Amino acid sequence: MEADLSEAMSDAARRGGREREQLVRELRAALRGSEQRFEAIVGSLTDPVTIRDREHRFLYANRAALAYLGFESWEALRETPPAAIMDDYIVQGEDGRELAMDDIPSVRILRGEHAEPLLIRTVRRDTGVQRWNLLKAAPLRAEDGAVEATIMIIEDVTERRRTELRSAYLAQASAALASSLDYEQTLRNVAELAVPDIADWCAVDLADADGDRQTVAVAHVDPERLSLAEALRSYLPDRLDPDRGLGLVLRTGEALRYPEITDEMLLQSAIDERHLDLLRALGFRSVLIVPMRIGDRTLGAMTLVSAEAGCTLDELDLELAEQIAARAAVAIENSRLYSERSSIARTLQQSLLPDRLPEIPDYELASVYLPAIQTSMVGGDFYDVWPVGESWMMVIGDVTGKGIEAASLTALVRHTVRTASEFEQSPARLLAFVDKTLRSRPTLSVCTALCLRLQDDRATLAVGGHPLPLYMTEHGGVVELGGHGPLLGAFDDVRWQDFTVRLDAGSTLLAYTDGFTDARDEHGDRFGLPRLCATLGELGAQPAGALAVSLARKLEEFQAGAHADDTAALVLRRLTGGDNPVQSSPSQATIAAPA
Amino acid sequence: MVRPTRFEITEQARGETLVLSITGELDLSTVPQLARRVEEKLAGKLTTLTLDLAELTFMDSSGLRLLIELDRRARQESWTLTLIPSKHESANTVLRLTGANTALPFEASAP
Repeated sequence: MEADLSEAMSDAARRGGREREQLVRELRAALRGSEQRFEAIVGSLTDPVTIRDREHRFLYANRAALAYLGFESWEALRETPPAAIMDDYIVQGEDGRELAMDDIPSVRILRGEHAEPLLIRTVRRDTGVQRWNLLKAAPLRAEDGAVEATIMIIEDVTERRRTELRSAYLAQASAALASSLDYEQTLRNVAELAVPDIADWCAVDLADADGDRQTVAVAHVDPERLSLAEALRSYLPDRLDPDRGLGLVLRTGEALRYPEITDEMLLQSAIDERHLDLLRALGFRSVLIVPMRIGDRTLGAMTLVSAEAGCTLDELDLELAEQIAARAAVAIENSRLYSERSSIARTLQQSLLPDRLPEIPDYELASVYLPAIQTSMVGGDFYDVWPVGESWMMVIGDVTGKGIEAASLTALVRHTVRTASEFEQSPARLLAFVDKTLRSRPTLSVCTALCLRLQDDRATLAVGGHPLPLYMTEHGGVVELGGHGPLLGAFDDVRWQDFTVRLDAGSTLLAYTDGFTDARDEHGDRFGLPRLCATLGELGAQPAGALAVSLARKLEEFQAGAHADDTAALVLRRLTGGDNPVQSSPSQATIAAPA
Repeated sequence: MVRPTRFEITEQARGETLVLSITGELDLSTVPQLARRVEEKLAGKLTTLTLDLAELTFMDSSGLRLLIELDRRARQESWTLTLIPSKHESANTVLRLTGANTALPFEASAP
C-alpha cells in the first residue's frame, strides 16, 4: 500500500497539473496515517512541499523545500520566522507588482478564503537568482472540519515561464522592428519592451563609422529613475575606451556579460565623481552588452541592466538579447538603406529635371512636377527645354519602370535628345534616334516622349507612345494636337511623324504625362482625358504659371491620397501682341477626336 | 478610404493552352500580381499562354510594359503568347497611344 501510494505520488509529481491536486488530497489522507509513511512519500518529491500551522510556522518541509529556501537543516528553518524568510526575496506577481505575505495562497486559506494557484517571481536579494514559482495550497482540516494547517507545493516553472516571456518578447520586438522605417523610434519601442521582463533598464547606442557612439533609446522600469539613466547615458563620452565595456563591444562586435557588478567595478569604470554617483544611484546588479551587427559591421549595441534589486542576467538572457540585437541590426540597416535611397532618389530626380526653365521670347513657360508617393522611387517622368540655334526644343516623357534603373534611363534619353538635336531638326527623326539608342540596350528600355520644336509661332511635334498635347485657344477651346506614334524602345519596324501647327497669340499648349489622366479618385474613377480637357477649358486663358498651379491643385483635389505615379506637365503660352497677360472668360471645352 | 483597384485573375486550361483571364484594372498597384502569377505559370512546362484581357477595364503604362516584357520573353524562350483585346475603350487607350495594339500579338481583331 505504501509503495503504491509513493509510486502514485512520484508519478503525479512528474505529471503536474491536475494530478497534483489529487496528490494534495492523498497527502491529507496520508497525514492521517503515520508520519513515517508521509515522510517516505513526500520527502522524496523533487518539488518543495511545506506544511504550516495557523500561525504560519513551519510544521514540515521536505528536502526540496529546505534546499529551495536555502536552509541546511530542518531545525534551522523551524527557528527562522516566516517573515524573515520572505524578506530575503523580492516577491512579485505576474504583473510585476510586489507581493506581501497576505497574498500567499496558504495565508489566504488560513483567512478562510479560496486560493487559486499563484504564479510568483522571486529574486533572492543576496544572490540575484530569479525564479518563477507556481504556489498551490490546500487546507488540512481537523476532525471537526476546522483548518488546522496548510500544505503548499511550490512548483518551479522558471524555465517554462522564461521561455514564455522570451517568445512573447521576441514576437513583440520583432513586430516592433518590422513596423516602421523610422529606426530611432523603433529602437525606442524595442528598449521599452525589454523592461521589466528582461531587464530593469535598457539603452540602445548606435556607432558611426569613426566609432563614435550616440545613445538613441533609454527605457527604465521605474519612470522616476529614467532621467537618471538618461543622465548617465549622456555623461558618457562619444568616443569610448575601446578596450572595455560598450567601447569594447562596439569595437569587437562580441557580446559582454557581467553577471555580477560590484561596487569596485563601478569605481573602476567611473570617469569621475559625478559619474560614480550616477552609477551608484542607478544601481547595477548585472549587465549585458550585445552588439547589433550585420556581417562584420557593428552598427551599435544594446545594453541591458538589472538594477541592484534585480536578478542576475544569465546565458538565457544573453541569448535572447543577441537575437533581438541581430533583428534590430537588420531593421536599422533597412531603414538606413531606405533613407539613403530616398536621398539618392531626390538628388537624381533633381538632376533629371532642369534647374529652371529658360525664357523664350514671346512665350511664357511653366511646369508642374508631382512626384509619386513612394519617396524611395525615382520617378520616370522628365521634361527639358533648351535652345537650338534660332529655335527651342521641348521634350517631355515617361520612362516606364522605377528606381535607379529608370533614373539612369531618363538621363540617357534626355542627353540623347539634347545631343541629337544639335544635328537633327525633325522631332520625328529625334524620336527615331532615341528609339534606336534604347533598343541597343541589353534590357527592355522603353519610354514615351513628346518632342516639340518651336520656332516663332510654329511648333513641329512628334509623339512616341505619349499623350498628345492639348492646345487651348485664347477663348478656352481645347483640342488635341498631332497624332499618335509608337512607344520608344519597344517595337520593330516603326516610324514617327512630324506635325506642324501654328500657335496663335494668347493660345496655350499643355504637354503632360499620363500621371494626369491615370490619377484615381476615392471611388476608383480616373481623371481621364475628357476631364483634363474640361478642366483646362474651365481654367481658361491665364498666365502660364498660374495655370500650372491651378492644374496641379485640381488634380490634387481629385486624387485620393497621394500620387500613385509621377505627374509632370509643361505649360507653354504664346503672349499676345501687347505682351500683357490676357484674362478671357472661360468657355466650354471642346475635345477633338484623337487623330 | 481609397477603394482598392478592382482586379481578378482566373485561370483555365484549354488543351495545351493556359488562359489567364483578367478582370478589372491593370495599373501600378495590380501589375505585380499579374507578373507573379505569370511567373509561377512559366516555371512549369508551358507552351502557350493566352492573356484574355476582354474584361480589362483599364490599363496604364506599367501594364503595357509588362505585356511588352512578356512578348519579348515569349520570343526568346520559344513559347507562344496570345493576347485577347479588351472590350473596353479605357483599357485600349494606352495600347493605341503607343502602337502596342498592332505590335503586340493580339488575336484576330486588334483594338
